[in-house]
Amino acid sequence: MVLLIEQAPDARGAPDRTPAERTVPRTIAVWDLPLRLWHWALAAGVLAAWFTPSVYDGLHRVLGYTVLGLLAFRLVWGFRGSRYSRFRMVGVRLRASPRYLWNLRRGISGRYIGLNPAGTLMLVALLVSLAVSTITGAMSVTVTFFGVWWVEDAHHYSSDAVIVLVVLHVAGVVLMGILQRENLIRAMITGRKRIRGHL
Amino acid sequence: MADGFKNCTKLDKASWKPASEAEAKAKALGYEVRRSKVEGSCYEVYGVKEGKLYELFYSPEDLSLKHTIAK
Ligand code: HEM
Repeated sequence: MVLLIEQAPDARGAPDRTPAERTVPRTIAVWDLPLRLWHWALAAGVLAAWFTPSVYDGLHRVLGYTVLGLLAFRLVWGFRGSRYSRFRMVGVRLRASPRYLWNLRRGISGRYIGLNPAGTLMLVALLVSLAVSTITGAMSVTVTFFGVWWVEDAHHYSSDAVIVLVVLHVAGVVLMGILQRENLIRAMITGRKRIRGHL
Repeated sequence: MADGFKNCTKLDKASWKPASEAEAKAKALGYEVRRSKVEGSCYEVYGVKEGKLYELFYSPEDLSLKHTIAK
């Protein structure tokens, strides 16, 4: 809520709007372009990698290295990106996440512009499981770790975890969108979210 | 991760030769054997030779080498 006050709403080049127009939902820039490109490249890469092992080994490997590169970019962007790309609030939101999830059972979802505590938990869970999956995948084709059982197991379990998390992630985004009457998926494409007059 | 190679024999599993014999054949070819497992109706042997990674597919029926994949 405090966040909203600090943010100048987008005037959309119309300084002399009538009061009627002012009640129309305005939008605010949330996801910067690199973060959006990163998100959809990651989604495409992860889903393609999920369907390629054993059938297209070479492609699977290229996708794995690509996702590893994307993860590295996200770490950098967590410090260099714009406000809602930064990891600044991750610690605070993570600590709030158990209580937030508990309150969700009564449909209380609060109002956040960037990631809410549940979204932050998902961000961390996805980044960690993707890191384990890509690193153990890369390890399994080195001379040192080739055919080492725990590397293979770790790669399989972490990759399964990624897909379970992705399913939960998409379900969460859809549910949250319904709860807050906002198309969050479109926001991840345009980068903009609504800012409601009464808030 | 076997590039989809799965069919080596139609023989019933009960009459398969032991996997250790497939590993021994790979060793005889100069591979450092890391492990083996059943992949479809094949024994898949993980071998390293001259710093390169290979997956060798043996038929559990007659231990003939059906397929080799360089990783
Ligand atoms: C492999 C697939 C996917 C992965 C790994 C993934 C990962 C992520 C991550 C890590 C974030 C947090 C953004 C940040 O870095 O701050 C995020 C946000 C988001 N993702 Fe995905 N995603 C995937 C697929 C999808 C799909 C298929 C959709 C839509 C149908 C989607 C919709 C969104 C939306 C709307 C947000 C922003 C949430 C919000 O507004 O609070 N994602 N995703």
